[in-house]
Amino acid sequence: MTCDPAPLSNQQPSSESERRLLDIRQQAQLNGHLKAPGVRPIGAPFPTASTETGYYGLPLLKPPQWSREIPLYFFVGGTAGAAAVVGAIAHFTGASRKLVRDARWIAAAGAILSPALLIADLGRPGRFLSMLRVFKPQSPMSIGSWTLLAFGGAASATAFAGALRERYGSSFSVSVMENAASGASIPFGLGLACYTGVLIGATAIPVWNESVGHLPMHFAASGLAAAVGGLELLGHTNNRALQALGLGAALFEFWEGIRIESRTQAELYPLKHGQSGRMTRIGSLLSGPIPTGLRIFSKFSRPRRHRWLRRSAAISSLAGSLLTRIAWLEAGRASAHDWRRPLEIPRQAKS
Amino acid sequence: MSVTAFLTDSTLCIGCKACEVACKEWNHVSEDGYDWSGYSYDNTSALGASTWRHVKFIEETPVPGLGGNASEQTSWGFSSDVCKHCEVAGCLEACPTGAIVRTEFGGVFIQPDVCNGCAYCVVACPFGVVAKNHGDGRAFKCTFCYDRQKVGLAPACATTCPTESIKFGEISQLRGEAQQRIQVLRQRGLEDATLYDATHTSVGGIHAMFIVRGDVRAYNLPPNPEVPTRYLKKGWMSAAIAAGLLLGGTVLAFLTQPATDAR
Amino acid sequence: MPGLGTSLGRGGATTAQQDLSNADAILIMGSSMAENHPVGFQWVIEAREKGAKIIHVDPRFTRTSAMADIWVPLRAGSDILFLGALIHYVIENNREFRDYVVNYTNAPMILREDFRDTEDLDGLFSGWDGEKKKYDPESWLYRGSPVKAGDDDNKPGHAESSGGHGKDRGGEAQDAGKYQEDRTLQHPRCVFQVLRRHFSRYTPEIVERFCGVSEDVFLKVAEVFTSASGKEKTGAICYAVGWTQHSKGVQIIRTAAILQLLLGNIGRPGGGILALRGHASIQGSTDIPTLYDILPGYLPMPSSEADSKKLTGYIGKHSSRTGLWSGFEKYFVSLMKAYYGEAATRANDWGFDWLPRITGDHSHFGYWLDMADGQLEGLFVMGQNPAVGASNGRLQRAAMAQLKWLVVRDMVETETASFWYDSPEVKRGELSPYTIGTEVFLFPAAGSAEKAGTFTNTQRLLQYRNQAVDPPGDARSEAWFMYHLGRRLKKKAAQDFRSRNHGLRALTWDYPVHGKHDEPQVEDVLKEINGYAVRDGKQLKHIKDLKEDGSTACGAWIYCGVYPEEKRNRANERHPNDLLGHGWGFAWPNDCRILYNRASARPDGTPWSERKKLVWWDEEKKEWTGLDNADYEKHVPPDRPAKVHDGHGTEALGGARPFTLHPDGVGWIWVPSGLKDGPLPAHYEPLESLIKNPLYAQQDNPAVNKRARSDNRYANSPGDPRYPYILSTYRLTEHHTAGGMTRTLSHLAELQPELFIEVSPEFSSEVGLRHGEYATVTTPRSTIEARVMVTPRMRPLQIDGRVIHQVGLPYHWGYRGQVTGDVVNDLLVISEEPNVRIMETKALLCDVRPGRRPSGAQAIEKPLTKERLT
Ligand SMILES: Nc1nc2c(c(=O)[nH]1)N[C@H]1C(S)=C(S)[C@@H](COP(=O)(O)OP(=O)(O)OC[C@H]3O[C@@H](n4cnc5c(=O)[nH]c(N)nc54)[C@H](O)[C@@H]3O)O[C@H]1N2
Ligand SMILES: Nc1nc2c(c(=O)[nH]1)N[C@H]1C(S)=C(S)[C@@H](COP(=O)(O)OP(=O)(O)OC[C@H]3O[C@@H](n4cnc5c(=O)[nH]c(N)nc54)[C@H](O)[C@@H]3O)O[C@H]1N2
Ligand code: SF4
Ligand code: SF4
Ligand code: SF4
Ligand code: SF4
Ligand code: SF4
Ligand SMILES: [Mo]
Repeated sequence: MTCDPAPLSNQQPSSESERRLLDIRQQAQLNGHLKAPGVRPIGAPFPTASTETGYYGLPLLKPPQWSREIPLYFFVGGTAGAAAVVGAIAHFTGASRKLVRDARWIAAAGAILSPALLIADLGRPGRFLSMLRVFKPQSPMSIGSWTLLAFGGAASATAFAGALRERYGSSFSVSVMENAASGASIPFGLGLACYTGVLIGATAIPVWNESVGHLPMHFAASGLAAAVGGLELLGHTNNRALQALGLGAALFEFWEGIRIESRTQAELYPLKHGQSGRMTRIGSLLSGPIPTGLRIFSKFSRPRRHRWLRRSAAISSLAGSLLTRIAWLEAGRASAHDWRRPLEIPRQAKS
Repeated sequence: MSVTAFLTDSTLCIGCKACEVACKEWNHVSEDGYDWSGYSYDNTSALGASTWRHVKFIEETPVPGLGGNASEQTSWGFSSDVCKHCEVAGCLEACPTGAIVRTEFGGVFIQPDVCNGCAYCVVACPFGVVAKNHGDGRAFKCTFCYDRQKVGLAPACATTCPTESIKFGEISQLRGEAQQRIQVLRQRGLEDATLYDATHTSVGGIHAMFIVRGDVRAYNLPPNPEVPTRYLKKGWMSAAIAAGLLLGGTVLAFLTQPATDAR
Repeated sequence: MPGLGTSLGRGGATTAQQDLSNADAILIMGSSMAENHPVGFQWVIEAREKGAKIIHVDPRFTRTSAMADIWVPLRAGSDILFLGALIHYVIENNREFRDYVVNYTNAPMILREDFRDTEDLDGLFSGWDGEKKKYDPESWLYRGSPVKAGDDDNKPGHAESSGGHGKDRGGEAQDAGKYQEDRTLQHPRCVFQVLRRHFSRYTPEIVERFCGVSEDVFLKVAEVFTSASGKEKTGAICYAVGWTQHSKGVQIIRTAAILQLLLGNIGRPGGGILALRGHASIQGSTDIPTLYDILPGYLPMPSSEADSKKLTGYIGKHSSRTGLWSGFEKYFVSLMKAYYGEAATRANDWGFDWLPRITGDHSHFGYWLDMADGQLEGLFVMGQNPAVGASNGRLQRAAMAQLKWLVVRDMVETETASFWYDSPEVKRGELSPYTIGTEVFLFPAAGSAEKAGTFTNTQRLLQYRNQAVDPPGDARSEAWFMYHLGRRLKKKAAQDFRSRNHGLRALTWDYPVHGKHDEPQVEDVLKEINGYAVRDGKQLKHIKDLKEDGSTACGAWIYCGVYPEEKRNRANERHPNDLLGHGWGFAWPNDCRILYNRASARPDGTPWSERKKLVWWDEEKKEWTGLDNADYEKHVPPDRPAKVHDGHGTEALGGARPFTLHPDGVGWIWVPSGLKDGPLPAHYEPLESLIKNPLYAQQDNPAVNKRARSDNRYANSPGDPRYPYILSTYRLTEHHTAGGMTRTLSHLAELQPELFIEVSPEFSSEVGLRHGEYATVTTPRSTIEARVMVTPRMRPLQIDGRVIHQVGLPYHWGYRGQVTGDVVNDLLVISEEPNVRIMETKALLCDVRPGRRPSGAQAIEKPLTKERLT
């Protein structure tokens, strides 16, 4: 396993070094010998292994070896889970049927897309089935897999029952099925929206495990924001419940962003620096302050403006939600790359 | 069957890499690239899917008149690294498929026919040991030579080591030997000799102990490895709160919305 | 190995690697044992764990230094200064083991009046012939020992053409059994006093100034190592090619032998000199030689100038009156009986005339230069890769292009086999496949696991190897190839009655074959090597069974006893029953694990001490007994007086002369004959050196054949401003020599994938090199490039007030295999140490600059230009 060493250039002799060499040669010819050695380099011009540098600064931890599908899955799964909860609550509180239907379809679509994404990551469909060999409570991924499976059942059953009812009208059995499935999709939807936070939080990656107490909430809020955003894009821009939920989620994300920025733990470094830091910040801007502002603004706007503002908030939240998941995985990668953390070596002021 | 372990004593290691090669030969592991690293004589750099034993070269400035073995000075340390076979193993706990099991010898073994390549173990190992390979995407690491142990043979790496730097045996006995060895080394003036066993952490001890000189961090050994399962409680707690808030919030949002919206 | 051969009697490691664990101090110098003999190094570690001090003297800090207690960086090529200073230290501080020195060495012998030392002749010994560029060794003899008869060339020690291996045992020039001595070691011309004067200038101060080793470090080493001496303690020395591959390699080893003799460390447990040899059976390949100037068992090959005329002359010249070489005739006749069977009779001098004669320098470099000059038509290369492994790679490859045909037998297509289409010369356009007329035949060879046979390892241990698997495809063993080639040649010769074919026709060549490919039965070859009675074919049990009357046949007298009876192949025995490994394999001679072990007991036959006992006289059983087989006449009691002055054979040595191959039975601090460059070692600078010889006007070894020519150019010495740095080449654990066996294997190739140059941080800043980038290295021979490895393990040295830099290059890369790199040997020059004709690989001059080398046609002339300075 070679972890990319510092890039090495093929230095060609420059006129500078040539001149220097010439001096040395001439001096050798004149005096028959060379003067004292050149400057002894300060520090080391070559890699060293030490208490300050660790093992040549090579990463101790392995970076997450997940493909691009995984953050996408986190996003899709989170959205679907939250959408299922929204749909079910809307259903039971007798909210708009269209809202219920759209929420269910989002959930069902997510339930189908999620395993597809996982399979894409694993490479072969059969491999997903291995997840169901055992149920391991201490493995968030095992819990997640079973949750996803159950959620898939519940969400598609809900959508199916809803579709039956719409096409053939309400009957007792359809009703029972719809209610039961709807009811079931609440816990599984909640699980799906939250577990990914535990999944990455309970790992050896410092930036993740340092955040384990927040990640599930963070991801749940992000999922809810995305679900609300999705529904709003499907036209539910007048729904106040959605507005309230969207605002709540955005405010939570706003707070989450502030929290990340204000904390100084070295583990959180990748959330503020480098590529992953940039992504995290844009992600949290898109998820927190922007939709919050837009939504508050929309409260005081006339309908047309209101709709436009809420659509914008929805798009911002959706983009923010997706970017947030990608950013967290990027941060995990960067965090694993940082050899200092697991070795408990303080990061020098610079670099 | 007795519970076994490694004790890798870097004060005896000559950096010959025979263990690394023997492991690959026995297990039919492929090479992992012809890259010159520039990190001393270490060109494989780290453990991974295709390097299950890895010899590290810790270079310091040597002082003439004092070889690396002189108590005054460490100058070129060699240490053969391997999967720690943790008592509480992050990879094993995390594996969703049950591919990773604990063997009767106390080792942590990935059943290659069960592993589905979910790569969750990769981020669950506090020592950065296990990794997915580039070919079929399954996870691999040291098997503790389960196949050899099964038929009463010592692991290939330990068998091949010319200087007995890699000791293999019954774990409690090895722990005793390790303590004795540290005593001996200290008496000889190697005050900085330490045993790396991680018993004080949530990993709860390892089946691959190391004797090294000086700070373990130069050897890329984490001073306080933690098994990720210890974060589970906090995580699920947070998840429960999140679920509660999400559910409560949604119910509240829909219950409080004016009937006009509930069409 | 004439260094050990002349000093002690046999050119082999005196001890076993296991025995290192008994040492109280181990000096590893001229070897990186941990890297190149990692398995044997376990015994060094074991000694260290038992409290022995390990000293490593090496220009670089290597994996061996890392395991040592003391590391001493020294200037490459200054070993004799360092070792000479140790000898000086021993003598001046009375650290010698007096009882041992007086009884078991030639320190008391008195030298001739006409001998002149380097002290008197400023670096030359008496006898130097400036015209012929060689020594007449007569003045080196003991006072009172008569010179053997002969005229000019035919006089022992004077032949031009033969190398030095034939004289591994030394002492053919004189009747060394006759001498005068002063056992008080006071006589001004006794060896001990001459030695004292000779090394008087080798002081710690000289070491500090010219080896670059500070006085206190030197004194620390001197104290530690010389303390491992005397009755209770012993110290061992390990060396390998860091010593041999110098223009004075043999004399470096001589210096070590003198030191060990003075300290009484030969023949005793934990003592000795361990010559760490190279390939798995490189010892075997001098015992049953692949060398041009000896026959099996170190019998000299007759040379055309001398000793070729008559068998009697040959025998007379090479046998001695006393000691084991008094049996020369037995060994020779038995060898001829093994070669020619029935056809060898007393009437035809046992076929002496059928043996080829040496007509010149047929060493590797000798015939390669002939080849470059178009004087060779065809060549077999078997198990060698000279395109990468031999000095002056460009010349090596260019020479092969002069051949009509080339046969390469190897397990892989080596650079040697492929030079005609992918060598750097072809890439640069110097040679072209269209113009090279050489027809190359590549024969696939069976690897060691694919055939049976013996290896003779670094400690003279014969180990039989059973075949594990069949070789793939057309691959065949060497035995198969040689046997069937010989069979076909014999068949041709049977129809061709020219006299040159007599020998071939007479040759016995009828080994039983087996298997579907008619593989010869190698165990039968081993039986023949062991020897048998001609009459009934019964195996011989002991060297003593050999006869000079033609009734015994023996392929190599020193191996006699390895197959003592039917179905008992001692080389294949695998039941070790002690530390020295008795019961596992067979060590020649007579399964002695430690040579000259009679010296482990006092003259009266009792051990020097309980702690260091090995072999002693058992008064009850009336024989030598102990922890090893005695390297001595088993039943000769210690008190039997020696009759070296007038007696005959080994009996004449009496009961207390452990070095039985020498006519006088003692270890030779002084070598009266057998060496081409002096009876004592003297420090000479490497052929290419930065400095003037600090001790003598004579700059470098005068007897060296430099082979300088336009395609084999030297840097000026001392001090060539174009080449201001010292270059040394060496090995890495991860690869093997020319790399054919390791660069082709992915598991090894990945461990050291690229050629690199090791430089110190100071040097890198002086020249402007950066870690990981490229450097270009130039010598008068060629230019190559390598990745820069800046490491504090390399360090500049203060030499006589100035700073000198040494750089190091491992030499394993070539243009084939999984990983490739420039051929380091392109930088090296062909030179021939006078005794063994080995090249100097460890101390040369070079230039290093940052950046990559020029490539393509540009590179042809560029490397050699002088204009660079303007
Ligand atoms: N892994 C591995 N093992 C091998 C081989 C291999 O290629 N790879 N090759 C085998 C063969 S063929 C041989 S001959 C042996 C050789 O075994 P070694 O002799 O140990 O081999 P080298 O590495 O060539 O040289 C040894 C050391 O000599 C040092 N040296 C250089 N110049 C001087 C000098 O002037 N004085 C002193 N004192 N030291 C000097 C070098 O820095 C180097 O560390 O190894 C055998 N074993
Ligand atoms: N610069 C520099 N040059 C050196 C040295 C140095 O220290 N520095 N060291 C020198 C020394 S000590 C040595 S020994 C030489 C080594 O130089 P070489 O002997 O030329 O190099 P090897 O690579 O050992 O070549 C052995 C070849 O034999 C093949 N082989 C292995 N087993 C068998 C077999 O059973 N049958 C046949 N037919 N082939 C087989 C292998 O594949 C390999 O290609 O290099 C010398 N050159
Ligand atoms: S070191 Fe890592 S891979 Fe090995 S058992 Fe422990 S957690 Fe698992
Ligand atoms: S990659 Fe394989 S071994 Fe690792 S957690 Fe997933 S299924 Fe288990
Ligand atoms: S125990 Fe076996 S699998 Fe593990 S490192 Fe050693 S040889 Fe490799
Ligand atoms: S085989 Fe033994 S001595 Fe060699 S590198 Fe491995 S642990 Fe070290
Ligand atoms: S390669 Fe063979 S001969 Fe060389 S050290 Fe290893 S085991 Fe010994
Ligand atoms: Mo060699």
